[in-house]
Amino acid sequence: MTKMDEIAELFKSVDDETRMHLLLDFAKKLPALPEKFRAARDAGLNRVPECMTPVFLFVDRENGHPRVYVDVAEEAPTVKGLLSIVLTACNEGGVTNADAIPNDLLNRLGLDGLIRMNRVVGLSAIIGRIKRQITAINAEIESPGTSKN
Amino acid sequence: MSKEYAHPEMLVSTDWVDKNRSQTDAIRIVESDEDVLLYETGHVPEAVKIDWTNDLNDPVIRDYINAERFEQVCSQNGIGNDTTVVFYGDKNNWWACYAFWVFKLFGHEKCLIMNGGRGKWQAEGRPMPSDKPTYPAKPYKVKNPNPGIRAFQDEVLEHIKTKKPLVDVRSPGEFKGEITHMPDYPQEGVLRGGHIPGASSVPWARAANEDGTFKSREDLEKIYQQEQGLKPNDDVIAYCRIGERSSHTWFVLKYLLGFEKVRNYDGSWTEWGNSVRVPIEKGEPVKA
Repeated sequence: MTKMDEIAELFKSVDDETRMHLLLDFAKKLPALPEKFRAARDAGLNRVPECMTPVFLFVDRENGHPRVYVDVAEEAPTVKGLLSIVLTACNEGGVTNADAIPNDLLNRLGLDGLIRMNRVVGLSAIIGRIKRQITAINAEIESPGTSKN
Repeated sequence: MSKEYAHPEMLVSTDWVDKNRSQTDAIRIVESDEDVLLYETGHVPEAVKIDWTNDLNDPVIRDYINAERFEQVCSQNGIGNDTTVVFYGDKNNWWACYAFWVFKLFGHEKCLIMNGGRGKWQAEGRPMPSDKPTYPAKPYKVKNPNPGIRAFQDEVLEHIKTKKPLVDVRSPGEFKGEITHMPDYPQEGVLRGGHIPGASSVPWARAANEDGTFKSREDLEKIYQQEQGLKPNDDVIAYCRIGERSSHTWFVLKYLLGFEKVRNYDGSWTEWGNSVRVPIEKGEPVKA
């Protein structure tokens, strides 16, 4: 079972209220953006334009694996929580392929009924970007020099 | 001396809330946010949370909850018919205005907005515990619903035939029709981009100051009356994507500028842009 499946199973096994608390727990443990990306963030680089909430996304590689880092405004705990899940699945679960992050992440977590409308639009855009960047990093790892990312 | 709002009594300051928040029998403070988890991270100590999606929308059909369900929501939050409900929230009180509008739709009499919302309360370093208060249930009965503040699609079609004013409060990109929907989430999307013909374009947040408070009456008059040519006796309909941002503008026009007839079209662009054969304009707004 992948880390992503484990988290999804946990979310699916509880009621709506507990699910929201789980999401809040994930939000609280989202790691701070590493020092090396902060200057870029402060310069306004790598901001996800589709999201009304300020979200900055950095995908790097370490030991041949893609690693995802984000910076999310404090006032957006839902976005923080979801990205914390994606980061846990990628960075702790050793995700090497973008397909490991489901497009229907919210449904998989049982959150689709609780988080709707324009919140979803921004979130799907961020997840889409993370997946595209993981794919680009992988292409770079496989054939160095062919990708600019 | 600056000119007062048409209905200054509809607003209270963060200071007023701080001084009066312990009167929990007469006053209920309600937080309504865009982010469904924000309240849980900390809030005005006595505040309850009412979520625009999970508490105020019907889970099956596209409509608000019915009167019976609304009565339950009020009752379980200790809101009686004579309770003064003070709304506040994130994003310049965007969702607070939406919850306010829904409460008015059901005819709740005493509704107020905390000017500046959550952002101002937080910036002033006021207390924000995360534990959730509970209050004894109160009986509630919907008495004088106010459907006149809501516009439906057929009414909007009539409205444009008679060339009455509409205010589109979405972003310029949405107004011009450059943005439609996001990949992977077609159910959130709209098939056509653009705006309702003849609508003026006033993004909702232009009515707010940096600190989330409403702009002064003079500044609001400059935007809506002098720049857009709206008049206080006009019959105005405001809309956005799902009717939430436009409830902020509805509040501004109705209570701060004193417009006599303002309606919120909550079907908004997600209904209009998906409807067959309704007229659509694209591009820049046509100056009145």
